[in-house]
Amino acid sequence: MEFEFLVDGALRKVSLEKKDSGFVFREGGTALDAEIRPVSENTLLILAGGRSHLVRIARAGERTLVALHGREYAITKPAAEAARFEQGDDKAPEGERQVRTPMPGKVIKLCVCPGEEIRKNQVLVIVEAMKMENEIVAGTPGVVKKIFVAVGELVDPQKILIEIEPRP
Amino acid sequence: MFKKILIANRGEIAVRIIRACREMGISTVAVYSEADRTSLHVQLADEAVPIGPAPAVESYLDMNRIVRAAHDTGAEAIHPGYGFLAENAAFGRLCEKEGVVFIGPDSAALELVGDKVRARQTMEKAGIPIIPGMKSVAQSPRECEAAARSLGYPVIVKASAGGGGKGMRIVADEKGLAPALEAGCREAKSAFGDESVYLEKYIEDPRHVEFQVLADSAGHTVHLFERECSIQRRFQKIVEETPSPALDPELRARMGETAVRVMKAAGYTNAGTVEFLLDKDRNFYFLEVNARIQVEHPVTELVTGLDLVRRQIMIAAGEPLGLNQNDLRQRGHALECRIYAEDPRRRFLPSSGRIVFLKEPQGPGVRCDSGIYGGWEVPVYYDPILAKLIVWAENREAACRRMASALDDYVVLGIHTTIDFLKDVVRHPEFLAGRTTTAFLKKHFEGWGEGGADEDTLRLALAAAAYDEMTRARIPGTSRAGGSAPGIPSPWTTLGGWRNGGTGSHGV
Repeated sequence: MEFEFLVDGALRKVSLEKKDSGFVFREGGTALDAEIRPVSENTLLILAGGRSHLVRIARAGERTLVALHGREYAITKPAAEAARFEQGDDKAPEGERQVRTPMPGKVIKLCVCPGEEIRKNQVLVIVEAMKMENEIVAGTPGVVKKIFVAVGELVDPQKILIEIEPRP
Repeated sequence: MFKKILIANRGEIAVRIIRACREMGISTVAVYSEADRTSLHVQLADEAVPIGPAPAVESYLDMNRIVRAAHDTGAEAIHPGYGFLAENAAFGRLCEKEGVVFIGPDSAALELVGDKVRARQTMEKAGIPIIPGMKSVAQSPRECEAAARSLGYPVIVKASAGGGGKGMRIVADEKGLAPALEAGCREAKSAFGDESVYLEKYIEDPRHVEFQVLADSAGHTVHLFERECSIQRRFQKIVEETPSPALDPELRARMGETAVRVMKAAGYTNAGTVEFLLDKDRNFYFLEVNARIQVEHPVTELVTGLDLVRRQIMIAAGEPLGLNQNDLRQRGHALECRIYAEDPRRRFLPSSGRIVFLKEPQGPGVRCDSGIYGGWEVPVYYDPILAKLIVWAENREAACRRMASALDDYVVLGIHTTIDFLKDVVRHPEFLAGRTTTAFLKKHFEGWGEGGADEDTLRLALAAAAYDEMTRARIPGTSRAGGSAPGIPSPWTTLGGWRNGGTGSHGV
């Protein structure tokens, strides 16, 4: 079977085929013969090259989270990723045009006004969560197009706080 | 000794206290907010009492509810842990009035050390070195401006009721003073319900060295040496260790004696910590007293062999310390890393959500004080500390290596944590050389990003993801979400003709 995955923003085309009692994993010119054994609900053992690799794997929404050898990877499928980039302007990623809070909290300060020119990393909003003030910053330089929230409002990651018109 | 203790806290520290009580044959009562119904401390306690809605002010900070819970369950004492009501003198007084033992100093000592301004005045009188600063709470921005000018910039805004870095702001010049005061007051108000702040001279690039002290009710006081807590981000400690690489026996003895004098001047009983700043020229200044068990207490436990929570309970029950300063020794080296639910790749914003998989590290000299479990949903309402990883080894170098490998073995899937960031901190050459100051993270880790990808490891991860997709595709409705829901078939049966285990060739 062939798969397309996104890891750290890079597209990886790979395939996995059954072979004898194991599998062949291919990516571009590289191939790896491996035995893959499910050990428990969230654990796989990959036996390859004489070594045994314990892999922890779990799903969280669209992401497949994989941990091994002290590293963690969030792997998604391009289709799921594409759905997140909604309509329109593709010059800047959606995350830069639409400013959101990564965690639920309370807006305690708005630091910009509509029409204001902003720098990259300029503080736009302060959201209090877990008793700490968290500064939400601009991912791109631009102009504040619209502000959707008010001070005191409770917000969560679904809510767009501010829309930015990116400028180079 | 007490028969039953109520723990007025949550998370890893509540779990830690419950464990100590169990070992001492004391029954435990947990309290919990609506957001903590499924939390680990509730599962481990013998009894659990709901104390209100998720926001801390309506639950963990509601003194009357907590004291009522103690009465209702027949608990003779309350252990406040750290944070919440731990250093609240009004709570101490309420306990005294209601005939419940508060496991900590008495309310008079709490009041004195909790008021940073009064504490500074007392210590100055007792001949303890203090940082130059305002002698009383700031009454107006104008007064602050004048004070800042006479102290000389940079200055630091501090919350009078403060702790844990909340309400603190460094001010480099006059232009920055007004916004820093505004933010400091706001944060202090929200964290402590008291917006008073004051200014101190900011000592650049110091080390943060604190001394653990134990004092029994007869006034017998000893110190259990230092902890170095210089690795801080936004005034929050993230790595702590003991012994401090900056102290020699002479300076250690001098600071330890001073710490004991501080506690005696404050009339302090039970476990407490005296914080000092140590500057480049090895001058030290009294900073404050932390009148509680501290997050970083385990490193002291590992090098002294003493159980601090057990000692707290014994002191509160009126038992004598039975320790002499001359008998106390530091043995080996201990390090602690705090595991926060924060995303180091996104400016350490808090991360909440479900932990879909958890594997804590193990091995010789590895201790994990944790308040979490796999499948648990991390609530957004409280401090983002999830757990603490503590290691002990014969010397600092071995302890650093042990910590690095234990962090590699730590797997938390589903939420962002500071683990990856910590891995780089404990491997940094400046950290390994012991050149740890409070400016360490700012100097070496500003704009941190993860190192280059290891292609071989990444390919194995992709193979695992492909395998996961393949096996899921075969059985509709199967998922490998963590915390197995009922009805999900075991992979052993869903894989059909797949041969598990056995002697099959490795196909290499």
